[in-house]
Amino acid sequence: MKGSKHFSVTVRAWRQAGPAEPGKMVSYKVKDISPDMSFLEMLDILNDDLLKKGETPITFESDCREGICGSCGLVVNGDVHGPDEHSTVCQLHMRRFSDGDVITVEPWRVKAFPILKDLAVDRSALDRVIAAGGFVSINTGAAADANATPVEKDKAEEAMDAAACIGCGACVTSCPNGAGMLFTGAKISQLALLPQGGPERAKRALSMVAAMDKEGFGNCTNEYECEAVCPKDIKVANIARMNREFLLANLFSKR
Amino acid sequence: MEITFIKRFITTSIGRKAVMAVSGLLLGGFMLVHLAENLLLFKGEAAYNGWVDMLLSNPVTPLLELGLLFLFLAHIITGAWVRVEDFLNAPSGYEARKWQGGRTIGSATMLYTAAAVLAYLAYHMLTFRFTDHSMGFYQMVTYAFRDPVFVAVYVAGSAALALHLSHGMQSAFQTLGVNHPKYTPLIKIGGILVAVAMTGFALISVYYLLGIDIKAAQAGYNVVIIR
Amino acid sequence: MKLDAKIPAGPIEKKWDSHKFNLKLVNPSNRRKYDVLVVGSGLAGASAAASLGELGFNVKVFTLHDSTRRAHSIAAQGGINAAKNYPNDGDSVWRLFHDTVKGGDYRAREANVYRLAQISNQIIDHCAAIGVPFGREYSGLLSNRSFGGAQVSRTFYSRGQTGQQLLLGAYSAMMRQVAAGTVTVLPRREMTDVVLKNGQARGITVRNLLTGELESHSGHAVLLCTGGYANVFNLSTNAGSCNVSAAWAAYKRGAGFANPCFTQIHPTCIPRSGDHQSKLTLMSESLRNDGRVWVPKAKGDKRPPQDIPEAERDYYLERRYPAFGNLVPRDIASRAAKTVADSGYGVGPSSQAVYLDFRDSIKRKGENKIKDEYGNLFDMYYQITDENAYKSPMRIYPAPHYSMGGLWVDYNLMTTVPGLFALGEANFSDHGANRLGASALMQGLADGFFVAPSTVSGYLGANKFEAVSTGEKEFTDSSKQVQDRVNRLLAVKGKKTPAELHRQLGNVMWNDVGMGRSEATLKKALKKIPEIREEFWKNVAISGADKDFNQTLEKAMKVADFMEFSELLVKDALERNESCGGHFREESCTPEGEAKRDDANFSHAAVWEYQGEGKEAALHKEALTFENIKMAERSYK
Repeated sequence: MKGSKHFSVTVRAWRQAGPAEPGKMVSYKVKDISPDMSFLEMLDILNDDLLKKGETPITFESDCREGICGSCGLVVNGDVHGPDEHSTVCQLHMRRFSDGDVITVEPWRVKAFPILKDLAVDRSALDRVIAAGGFVSINTGAAADANATPVEKDKAEEAMDAAACIGCGACVTSCPNGAGMLFTGAKISQLALLPQGGPERAKRALSMVAAMDKEGFGNCTNEYECEAVCPKDIKVANIARMNREFLLANLFSKR
Repeated sequence: MEITFIKRFITTSIGRKAVMAVSGLLLGGFMLVHLAENLLLFKGEAAYNGWVDMLLSNPVTPLLELGLLFLFLAHIITGAWVRVEDFLNAPSGYEARKWQGGRTIGSATMLYTAAAVLAYLAYHMLTFRFTDHSMGFYQMVTYAFRDPVFVAVYVAGSAALALHLSHGMQSAFQTLGVNHPKYTPLIKIGGILVAVAMTGFALISVYYLLGIDIKAAQAGYNVVIIR
Repeated sequence: MKLDAKIPAGPIEKKWDSHKFNLKLVNPSNRRKYDVLVVGSGLAGASAAASLGELGFNVKVFTLHDSTRRAHSIAAQGGINAAKNYPNDGDSVWRLFHDTVKGGDYRAREANVYRLAQISNQIIDHCAAIGVPFGREYSGLLSNRSFGGAQVSRTFYSRGQTGQQLLLGAYSAMMRQVAAGTVTVLPRREMTDVVLKNGQARGITVRNLLTGELESHSGHAVLLCTGGYANVFNLSTNAGSCNVSAAWAAYKRGAGFANPCFTQIHPTCIPRSGDHQSKLTLMSESLRNDGRVWVPKAKGDKRPPQDIPEAERDYYLERRYPAFGNLVPRDIASRAAKTVADSGYGVGPSSQAVYLDFRDSIKRKGENKIKDEYGNLFDMYYQITDENAYKSPMRIYPAPHYSMGGLWVDYNLMTTVPGLFALGEANFSDHGANRLGASALMQGLADGFFVAPSTVSGYLGANKFEAVSTGEKEFTDSSKQVQDRVNRLLAVKGKKTPAELHRQLGNVMWNDVGMGRSEATLKKALKKIPEIREEFWKNVAISGADKDFNQTLEKAMKVADFMEFSELLVKDALERNESCGGHFREESCTPEGEAKRDDANFSHAAVWEYQGEGKEAALHKEALTFENIKMAERSYK
């Protein structure tokens, strides 16, 4: 609620009509911005302007706009999800900008996430990685009483830290190599930390890593850019745990 | 025979990196031993040449050399594979792109420092290993260290190696899955210390460059120096 | 329209078991011959797809998102109820059943609610088993917190992200079936129509959101798990893509729509900051465990909250409802906030807010403990408002959040159209006129994991199915109708954006059909809505092509349905001349201003039947009888 002076910015956004079309950066002036506006609300206003002028609005994805669904994802002035630390771009507010700023807005540019249109990309590779083993194979109705399996509180908290992943793909985008390690590592970690995930640990690690490789994600070079941008502050310790799970499974399981 | 697991060390992203990490750690260990050997220079000609003679007369040494060659090849091949693949696949086309704090100079330059270290290694092998050793190893080394160009190459090479290890040591532990809130900070400090130690190679050469040894100067250089 | 709730006979404790026994089964080797179409992939959809897939049915899941994991269940914060009684504070299936019926102000079907309470425990067992990281005690056992409308601690949680963790659990169970080959996921598809053949739901028409192509899919049963319609208010806590379209399409194909006026206004949301606002953000109800709600005692007191001394603060919830205090149910807390704000005691720049203050809890427990429990919410609050709630109180105000109304379903969760089921928030559900906190997650998962697998199997086992192909007339006709509507929209070429028109509609809905409704405001809304709808069809601006990734067209299609649906909601609100739960008719209140039910005339579910375009919907009633719980005035004093 601080500051109520309205201002103007120039948005330079990536426009690309379709997956196979060439794209380019296009500049737009956006006026009458309130500092209390979210960044995506500013884009909404720009889009409404474009629409009224009979132009095609900029395609970008968002849904919950409270930082949990993982739909949104933009590179703002070179920052993945914008300049705020550990935040999604829907939580970025215009009070971070000032009058006359030129703001570049670009899509996730990662081999594993092909651009669909403008700022929207295809992140289905992440689902396929989960389908390779990011689950516990218990049929509905087969479980014993929930309190029959105690879980050390610290472990449960650590599992929750990993499970907080929203699947936005920022880790892949921020990675100099476009690796999907933080995403995959978080899921493998969550289930490795919980006794419930125990019986399938080896199988899961081997098959999820194989699926990740198949999707064309890059290699991890341990630069930890992913950790620096992750909106949910997921730690690279999860990548180490995935490495451990994978190597132990490879060396000591029967698979 | 089950060989899938061996294949995985070559074909999967994490397997390849593990090979790179293990070979890197062992090579790092070798570099520390090698540095200790170099420190023998300060104990004088007898001590240094005695150690070298012991090595050369030991029947295990060729095997160790072979092992070392294997480590180098494993590290270079897996490293190159990882890096070239990443280079080809790296996200590109950004008009603006910032790094958000994870990257270090060491981590961002791994490919370049690797190339520099490889060149340094080749130079080192040609000048000291595949050459005429008749004047004695101590003489050969200390004479070489009086050539400013040679020392410059050495300083540059050691710096590249230090930079390489500043990222490489802790990175290897992470790749092998060793990450723990208690130990990781120590590993990171240890890695930096090992990296800093690599400048020892340069410091020794600089020591001899700056030292005044008339006898050696009069004798002139009798090693082949590739410039 | 015949409303047969198909409530099994026998004592309420035995109904579900005996019903399951009586349901027909499908032989395991025959199951893969049945195609089940699941629309929506939130808690209800994902869990139904997972468990039907586990049984061996051939399941197709449709979602309008790019990934099934993004469904709006993900945003639920606080928790999920179950009658485990782990804290030993006197909880039981019976008490959960009782609290839910009472919380819903006696407008839910007893048998359904009892089943929900019964199943609640299995949900916790299953979710813990599939790796949902619930909050735990140092013993390693599950932890509970308390929630509004209950005097026991029965809410299980994963920090402030319980919906996310449960959804990801259901999603992972579903992805396991994707790997097993029983479930196929078709993302970026918006359902636009239900296809009937011989009176049975036999397929759907969907629009591929990337290509704009209409696709027909046939099956033996269709499950709508498409969530709620709170976005009819434009600004709500729902995600941008939440809509009524699928349910509305089903309604137009003959599914009865029940109690559309039962909408929930959540008391603790971040107030709006201007016209640009695209959504309202919820602050979990769990905050009311530690936060105290107050306003200044003096009207228009504009001092910073820290400067207002204790004696000049009115903790109005604690004052008016001493027994439940800050933990009164949502409808009551919301109305109380509206009352104080409307009387001039509101705070903040808009005066449409009240304080939620953590000062005393921070003093008692320490800032770190509060940070542990609600850190993410405080962070979110800071990001949106630029204010530090550890230092000064949060400003909150009610916002539309959930819809208790929805497609009418019988005990089997089947709508009035054979083979068309509705699960989760999409059905008119077990929450009556008001949903208690932490009960939506419970219901979504109960429907999907445990009820639908039995009842859908029962339907498939008990019926004969003719072979259908998507080339048949029913399918092509449906596609043609949808395409005609799309073409009409694109032909308007007007000047107002779908978002502007939606805002116009939302303003009417919020002002006239929001927390307080009267005959006068409702009639006003009934006059305004058709005008806005007419304007929409004359003046909506949509650019771009139909056969393309066209988000404006997507939005316009959703708004077009809200323009029609809103009118039904208002009619229902007008028809229900009583106050109950979230539906507050100003004509019907006690002298203290509390909601006053009229059981003699309104103890029923109001079910609306579509009569064709431009015709008045027909009203049917399912009488609600209470054999196990005595109806009483709902008091939280």
